[in-house]
Amino acid sequence: MFLQSRRHFFQKGFVGGAVLVFCSGRLFGAVSTMQTIQVLQEDLFGNTTNAPTPQEVRAQSYLAMILQHSRVSQKQKEFIRNGIQWLNEEALEMFHKSYVALAKQQREAVLQSVTDSRWGESFVHAIFAYLFEAMLGDPIYGINTDESGWKWLQHHPGLPRPKKAVL
Amino acid sequence: MIYDVCVIGSGAGGSPIAYELSNAGFNVVVLEKGKEYTEADFTKDELAVSRRDIYTPLLKDEKHIIIDRAEDGTLTRYDGEEYSWSFWNGSMVGGSSNLMSGYFHRLKPNDFRLKSVYGAIEGANVVDWPIRYEDLEPYYTKVEEVVGVSGKVTPHKFAEPRSTSEFPYTSLEENGVTQWFDKACEHLKLSSIATPRAVLPSAALGRNGCSYSNFCGSYGCATGAKGNARAALLKRCKAKIITEAFVYKLDSDASKVTQAHYYDTTLNSHTIKARIFVLAAQAIESCRLLLNSKNEHFANGMANNNNQVGKNLIFSAGGTGQGRFHFEKLTPQQQKILMEPGVFFNRSLQDWYEYEHEGKRYKGGTIDFLFEHANIIPRVMRELYDENGRIMWGEALQQKIHKSITTSRVLTFEVFNDWLPSDHCYVGVDEKVQDKYGVNVGVIHLYSHPHDLKVGKTLAQQARKVLEMMGADEIRSNISASPPPNLVAGGCRFGNDAKTSVLDKNCKAHELENLYVTDASFMPTGGSVPYTWSIYANSFRVAHKLLQTLRKRRV
Ligand SMILES: Cc1cc2nc3c(=O)[nH]c(=O)nc-3n(C[C@H](O)[C@H](O)[C@H](O)COP(=O)(O)OP(=O)(O)OC[C@H]3O[C@@H](n4cnc5c(N)ncnc54)[C@H](O)[C@@H]3O)c2cc1C
Ligand code: SF4
Repeated sequence: MFLQSRRHFFQKGFVGGAVLVFCSGRLFGAVSTMQTIQVLQEDLFGNTTNAPTPQEVRAQSYLAMILQHSRVSQKQKEFIRNGIQWLNEEALEMFHKSYVALAKQQREAVLQSVTDSRWGESFVHAIFAYLFEAMLGDPIYGINTDESGWKWLQHHPGLPRPKKAVL
Repeated sequence: MIYDVCVIGSGAGGSPIAYELSNAGFNVVVLEKGKEYTEADFTKDELAVSRRDIYTPLLKDEKHIIIDRAEDGTLTRYDGEEYSWSFWNGSMVGGSSNLMSGYFHRLKPNDFRLKSVYGAIEGANVVDWPIRYEDLEPYYTKVEEVVGVSGKVTPHKFAEPRSTSEFPYTSLEENGVTQWFDKACEHLKLSSIATPRAVLPSAALGRNGCSYSNFCGSYGCATGAKGNARAALLKRCKAKIITEAFVYKLDSDASKVTQAHYYDTTLNSHTIKARIFVLAAQAIESCRLLLNSKNEHFANGMANNNNQVGKNLIFSAGGTGQGRFHFEKLTPQQQKILMEPGVFFNRSLQDWYEYEHEGKRYKGGTIDFLFEHANIIPRVMRELYDENGRIMWGEALQQKIHKSITTSRVLTFEVFNDWLPSDHCYVGVDEKVQDKYGVNVGVIHLYSHPHDLKVGKTLAQQARKVLEMMGADEIRSNISASPPPNLVAGGCRFGNDAKTSVLDKNCKAHELENLYVTDASFMPTGGSVPYTWSIYANSFRVAHKLLQTLRKRRV
């Protein structure tokens, strides 16, 4: 199970770190990427009792792990990192605060605004892709806890299921 | 040591040669670029197999350059790595046949005589084959028996002649929705065909029967039921297989290939000598290897003094479509039938394999119907957009996903028609870009003849009518000029004239005495079906010729 063995990465990997964000051309400061991702995932998927939450399926740590993987291109890794930066810059332009510091309604407005642009839509699409990988991939990867994602959608996984994590 | 035969590439094209010749007592070595996986290694790990593509090379290590030609002649260059455009299909012992779905169709007699029957088409290099259907028929039958093809013979107006009355293996278990399909076809006066599959319904040939794992295409088979080249052939013969051996160059004198060079994983180079070389690295890579094998006798690449290697590359033309069945319109019993996992929806239509339009006779094609792939992540991702095409999020999205996945199911169709060969669709080699081995990468020049789109759209319209009659909603189709990388052929077409073909009718290079090519590159036209049954059959045919040659030599 690779999530456990790679915990150390959360402190030093690029998603585990921070991004510098600028507002109107001036440096605002550093923003934690993992915090942004955690809040963004919850905003995007919603938090209801009908479905597992991103946190329950460990979507945040999965994203951090998969963005280290050799089979995810450098371009994709940079895109996610830049996306976090742009999202925060949009939050600063609109409300003078970083994304995580905003109220729910303000974050909603930021999401509406960024998804009007192509990069914003692609960024949200990419965040969803990794979120659903965590929710619907095999629990052998330390995700989809108690198969809660599969149960939510009454999904029958293919057999045989993986006996070891190969990624 | 000098082997009798060296086979390069262990997939559907190479394995029948290895099987037949090694079982006949000849000393055969197979050089395969990928690793060996066994049944025990194959699982339905969606993240690893379908999201991270573990069975194909990383594009940063190995890629293609793609040059796309638009209808107005404009060329656009794409770097495969930059655009994540992959033409790799399965690098492993058994090749991409491990990952196929095994929808199997034979070619029809007229596919061997496309030019004579339907005439020339401007801008396309349509030719007749140098062999007839009758020459290949015994080998189609052999594949049914040795590789294992299950099905039920359905008489219809374009059914090809068979030397046996039935398939050796009975049809696989089917989802009850096939009955809705059959009824719709009856209304529309169409012949519903039970699609033959290279899948064993029960234990036979030393392999297990299908477990209806619900994840067939793109995944390796854990039971051995799928008729992939490894389980069906390589495991049942004495050929020596060298894995992780990337062949990068062939040497020759004026008339014979003398040796093959390969790199192992540590980039050490090795040499294999053999009396006969059989190349089957899949169409694009076979052409690339020949083009990269230049010497004083073959300045343009091996077997390429007539500049034919790489020419007339083809794919399967057509596209896909779908319709959705919603619970709202169904009884509880029908809902249950619809959602039954595992069992297959094996149905095809060939009523328009040939058709007339405004008094003109057209070559049409095949339509396969199947439930959409069970992979859950793409099915969920498709729900991200609302009816105005805007990306959604939050609770509304959650509800949309849940409703769609749990109370409806998508039936898809795949259209297969001829991709007309032309001067603009071919394989070359990039002068500068190299892969991780330091070998020049292949360049895929793409061009799809407008005629292909026309035919594909005609077929898709007919398929949509069937879905409508079945009561499906949200019916749509997408016929496009984009090539399916897993259905590729041509590039070393066979023919009687050495000036216009690379191989003779027995798939031996015109220009060399001991070089054969047995993947789909030999095909001058592709027919209107997926290729693998024909690749297997032709390779068994060539194996038969090779056996005769080798036995004569032995005497
Ligand atoms: C997901 C999927 C679904 C499919 N479904 C169907 C279907 O339903 N019906 C159907 O008819 N067909 C289907 N196919 C297509 C089918 O798999 C191919 O037509 C068939 O396997 C092609 O045979 P081949 O011998 O040309 O290539 P492959 O079977 O791919 O074998 C080529 C082998 O050569 C090796 N190789 C390449 N270069 C080198 C080198 N330089 N040195 C050494 N080795 C090398 C490769 O690693 C590979 O193992 C499907 C394919 C895929 C990927
Ligand atoms: S067991 Fe059956 S369904 Fe599963 S991969 Fe093998 S042939 Fe396909």
